[in-house]
Formats: sequence, C-alpha cells, structure tokens
Amino acid sequence: MSEEIVRAEGLKKTFTLSKKQQKIEKTGETRRIAVNDLSFSAYRGEIYGLLGPNGAGKTTTLRMLSTLIRPDAGDAVICGHSVVKEPAKVRDEIGFMTSELKLEGFFTPDYLFNFFGAMHGMEKGAIERRKRELFAKFGIDKFAEVQVKNLSTGMLQKVSLVIAIVHDPSVVIFDEPTNGLDVLTAKVVTDFLAELKAMGKSVLLSTHIFSLVEKLCDRVGIIFDGKMAAEGPLEEIAKGDLEKSFFDLYYNVKGEML
Amino acid sequence: MKLFALMKKEFHRFFHDPRLIVTMLLPGIVIFLLYTFLGEVIHTEPQTYDYKVYVQGEAPAVTSMIEAAIEVGDNTVEWLPLEDIDAAKKEVEEGNATAILTFTENFMQFPENSAVSIVYDPMDEAGSGFYGISVAVLQEIGMKFSILSEPLTSDENIGREIMQQILPFILVCFVFSACMSVTLESVAGEKERGTLSTILVTSAKRYHIALGKILPLACISMLGALSSFLGVALSMPKLMGLSVGMLGGYTFGSYILLLLLIVSFVPLIVALISLISTASRSVKEASAYTSVLMIFVMVISLVTAFVPVIGDWAVVIPVLNAVIFVQQLLAGTLPVWQSLVSVGMNLFYTAALVFAMTKMLSSEKIMFGK
Repeated sequence: MSEEIVRAEGLKKTFTLSKKQQKIEKTGETRRIAVNDLSFSAYRGEIYGLLGPNGAGKTTTLRMLSTLIRPDAGDAVICGHSVVKEPAKVRDEIGFMTSELKLEGFFTPDYLFNFFGAMHGMEKGAIERRKRELFAKFGIDKFAEVQVKNLSTGMLQKVSLVIAIVHDPSVVIFDEPTNGLDVLTAKVVTDFLAELKAMGKSVLLSTHIFSLVEKLCDRVGIIFDGKMAAEGPLEEIAKGDLEKSFFDLYYNVKGEML
Repeated sequence: MKLFALMKKEFHRFFHDPRLIVTMLLPGIVIFLLYTFLGEVIHTEPQTYDYKVYVQGEAPAVTSMIEAAIEVGDNTVEWLPLEDIDAAKKEVEEGNATAILTFTENFMQFPENSAVSIVYDPMDEAGSGFYGISVAVLQEIGMKFSILSEPLTSDENIGREIMQQILPFILVCFVFSACMSVTLESVAGEKERGTLSTILVTSAKRYHIALGKILPLACISMLGALSSFLGVALSMPKLMGLSVGMLGGYTFGSYILLLLLIVSFVPLIVALISLISTASRSVKEASAYTSVLMIFVMVISLVTAFVPVIGDWAVVIPVLNAVIFVQQLLAGTLPVWQSLVSVGMNLFYTAALVFAMTKMLSSEKIMFGK
C-alpha cells in the first residue's frame, strides 16, 4: 500500500438548528449532528470518493478537511499537518474546489492565477512557469486575457480547476465535482481528475453519482447520517455492482428500502 | 507579499473599471457645477435698493457723482448728516442704514492729504453694493486721496463662519457616502458571490485579508470624499455670493491638521462599514444596516448644532470628535493635544475594528452560516 496522505480520526461536527429550520423539519431538536465519529484514510496517487445521499455529511467532512470549518471533536492530518492545529499549513498542501467558491468575473484568468499564486506565497517566476504549463495543458492560454465573466461554462470550470491547483498541492479536494454541470463540462472535470491522478496527486471527492465513483475512484467511503457505513477499496465495496451494494447497505443500516 | 497582492487586487478592480472611477468622482463634479450654476442664478438677479447713507465732511461734487452712478440702476440714495458716529454705526450693523461716508476737511482742495472712509456691512447686499459703486466712482476721479474701508464684519470672518457651520457636517456626509459606495459592494458583494471564500481557502492570514480590504478601500474612499469636498468647498463661495479668497484665511498647519483628520477618519468609517458587510449575508442586508449606521452618524455630526458647549471628553467619541475637530480648526481655536488625541483615537478604533473583522473572517458561523 502507498503512503497515507490523509488520515481522518473521529471527526465530529454539530450545527445549531434555527427556529425556522426546526419548524420546516417539524422537530424540537436544537442541534443536528452532521458528521459523527468519522474516520478514514486516503493514499498518495489515489482518488478517494465519499459517497452518500444529500445531507449525509459529505460536504461538511470536506469543509473540515479544507479547514473552512473546525471539527467539534476529532482531527484530520493531511501531509503531516493537523487541520485543527495547523490550518494555514494544511491550506498550502491542498487545493479545494466546490461550486460555492467563485472567481470574480471582472478579472482575467491570467490575473487571478497570479493573484492566487501570490496568496499561496509563490514567487513570481514559479507562478509564471506553472501558468505556462497548466494553461497550455488545459487550453486556457488563448483565453488568458478574457474576463472571467465572458468565458464559456466549460472554460470557466477549467480556469477554476487550474487556479485551485496553482500552488501544486499534494491533495486536491472536490466537493460534488460534476454537480449541475452539462455533459461537456462534466467531461472536462472527470478528465481533469484523471489527469491529476496521472500527475501523482491524491484526490478526495464527494459525490452521489455511482458512475463517477466507478469510473475514477480507487477507494470509497459510504456515509449515511454522518457516519461511515463502509470503507475500503472500490472492488471490495462494490462487489461488482456499486449501486446494488449501496442500497443493500442502506437497508442494513437504516432498516428501510428506498 | 500576500497583503500587497490583496491590496493590489482592490486597486486593480477600481482603477481598471471606468464606471467605478466615474461613480466615485462624478458627485464632486456634479455638486460643483450645480452649486455654481445656482449661485450664478441667485446672485445675478437685478435688484434695486434705497440707500440711506450718513455723510460727514464737504464733498458735494463727489456725492453727486456717486448719486448719479447709483441712480443708473433705478436705485435711490438719501444723504443724511452725521451727528453721532456710534449711533450711525449701530444703524448700519442693524441694517437700518446702508453706510457712513466720511470726507476729511478740505477734501476737494487738497486731495493729496485727504482721505475718504466708508463704513459698511459686507454681509448686507445693499451695503456691499454701495461700497463697490463708491470705490469705483472715487477711483475714476483719479485724484490722489486715500480710500479707507471699514467693514463692520471682516470678509475672512464671514467665510470662516460659513465654513464652521456647514463644512464639518458636509465633510462627514461626503466621507460616509464615499466609503459606503465603495466598501459595501467590495466586502458584502464578494461574500455574496462566494469570491471571498475562495480567498479564505488559501493560506493568507485573516488579518491580511481584513487589512487587504480596508487599506485600499480607505484610499479609494478618500479620493471620492476629496472630490465631493472640493466640489462643495469651491462652489460654496459662488453659491453664497462670496469670493473664494474669503475662505482662504487658514494657515498651512490648519490644512495639514485637516488632512491628518481625514487620513484617520476615512479608514475608521471604511472599517466600520466593512465590519457590517462581513457580518451581513448579502449586499441588501449590509445596505439596510449601513443606512441605520448612516442615520446615527448624521445625528452625531449634528449634535454640535444643538449643544453649544461640549466637554473635552468628546475627543473619544468617533464622528463627534471629527466634527468638533473641524469646527475648532476653522475657528482657529483647536488645541494641538485635542487634534492629536482625536487622530489617535480614530486610529485606535480602526485597529479594533480590523481585529473584529479578522475574528469574523475566522468565524464559520458568519462566513458560512445560512
């Protein structure tokens, strides 16, 4: 087995429910456990997929790993740095992509690449070399001076992806990478993920799309209600049919059929 | 390095968008043009006056020439013999008489050793009109006598009085609106669009992000406030029917102190609005809160108009210290210690607000709460 690059141990996150949320969900609970004692490991050069239904706690887990939110309990170590104790060091080791993170439409890809390179403490020369390499690889060079707001959806997605890895991170974290994208843009993303793996990067992604996991992931963790229901290499979890295994597991854990 | 990149981005965003530059500078230009136009309209309307002038000394040739010049514009003049100079001056002050014209003895025989003095109230349009006509006639005569003008209120004092009453409030209004127009969009807008979160996932320190917003926005706001302030300051004399020279009776030190105040006051307001914007979930929400803040600021800046005596403790109250600072500066009574304490307090509050914004940027509830 290759080098362990992400180790999450006993991650827990609880949110306060507002009066409005309590009313909508018809519950008297004031707190909701989003992630409960979640542990897993991901390895260098592999793609790890967190699979689960909406509200299972996938996004919360990835947000904790990317240091945007702090776990209530537990910790995760990425490239030897704790997300709780050394969040700034973790941020320099990861690239985080989610549909909630946007680029300012006023700027050009060239400007934003330079800006985010500087935000990660890179030298000018290193930024230029990295920009030439990535812009050429993903066909962005012709659009380098076009304002982001004028780019096509596919090109915008490419620019977002490239900017997320401007600092050549060891681990790339994607929350729902193909969610809401058309087939062409979704292919851009899946090709990009495969490319990252080929480059020796470790990728952590969350999804509820079985085909994406089957196509890309080496390991998979299935989450229900914030808890890890099953975790391991894709072949062991899927047993030939990931979708069937997922719903069998769902029945075993929740005691109900969908 | 990271702070520099953050600041550069804000400047780039502003100075590469012609619409933002125009929005920032336009109010000052519009105010200048509008006030100047209004001043032209108000002060060029033809008016007729019935002058009542006290005369002492004999110079019938001169008074008849002045009378002829006055009557050209349908005005009339009544010459009264001067008996009690103090009573006459009082009448001029109260607006019951136009002016007092005094000729020295043997005025016409020995012009080289003679003088004529004119006592008038420059705040009274008839008085200043009579003074202008008289001086023009006396100069036209061409004899070498002295013309002594004795305005009951100095031009400089009039200018100062207007400045003292109006400019502090206007300054606060323009600083606030300039800061609001730039800051609201830049912080709350970025938060709403999700572009601020993109910066939060980098290793930039939170206080760098806070300073990277506040410092450049303060510089840009200063430009906007300066444009509006210059628009008012340069057009106000025209609007009031005064000359620009009347407002120039301040020392270089006064302007330096005023600049110091602005340099400390603008970042304070920008930091305050940035904090509100960071706490808000959208530009709309931030606008609503900032409008309330604006009302507070306006009320504080008007306090001095209703409370004539305010203690030295006011230096610790933001906005109020700025208004008092400007008023005392214009009156020429500002103690140096008070000016430095006011500037120091503003900078202290700004630092405290930067610290609070840093904490907010680190708060997942504020940054990512629904």
